[in-house]
Amino acid sequence: MSEKTVTQFPPLPPIRQWLLPVVVAWLVPGGGHFMLKRHFRGAILCGSVLLTFVLGLLMRGYMFEPASGDLLTTLIYTGGFIADMSTGVFYFMAKWFGYAAPDIAGHTVDYGTKFLVAAGLFNILAMVDAFEIASGRKQ
Amino acid sequence: MPKMNLTHFEATLLFALFASAVLAIVSKPTDKERLHYGLRSFGYFAATVFGLGWLMYLGHR
Repeated sequence: MSEKTVTQFPPLPPIRQWLLPVVVAWLVPGGGHFMLKRHFRGAILCGSVLLTFVLGLLMRGYMFEPASGDLLTTLIYTGGFIADMSTGVFYFMAKWFGYAAPDIAGHTVDYGTKFLVAAGLFNILAMVDAFEIASGRKQ
Repeated sequence: MPKMNLTHFEATLLFALFASAVLAIVSKPTDKERLHYGLRSFGYFAATVFGLGWLMYLGHR
């Protein structure tokens, strides 16, 4: 009889150890890494998220709002909204300055929408990385 | 604010560049490995863009 190999995750460290870097990483892309003294990595992450986001704005990408309806519509609009909001201060600044591009057909606008979502997804990866560094699971 | 118009090729290569940089930073432990992973990832993205581009071109002839 073969034995199953069970991978044990290390226990979750106390919340005060990682919460602040993760929140800072969300609000300011790359900020969590700067806070944890990973300046080079923080700068690359901040630059990548910022440039992707700005290119999305310049291409007049659509920023998702939560919408309900059929399952696919709910998934796309709510997921897109969460991804857009994950860029933290960039999202809030764009909203405060009144950015509201309509959702229209066209390949440039479509790329812009994808760039805005991608910027948020990049920042979610950066937040996870900041969590792993802060909790001691990664250098 | 002027509207930027990128071609499909420019947009996908820019996306590939940023995605490769982020994936390399978060997934590899040393700078050397990050550089290698980032370049390889960008190469794969670019090769896929070329491959699919030619596939669509030939498929629409």
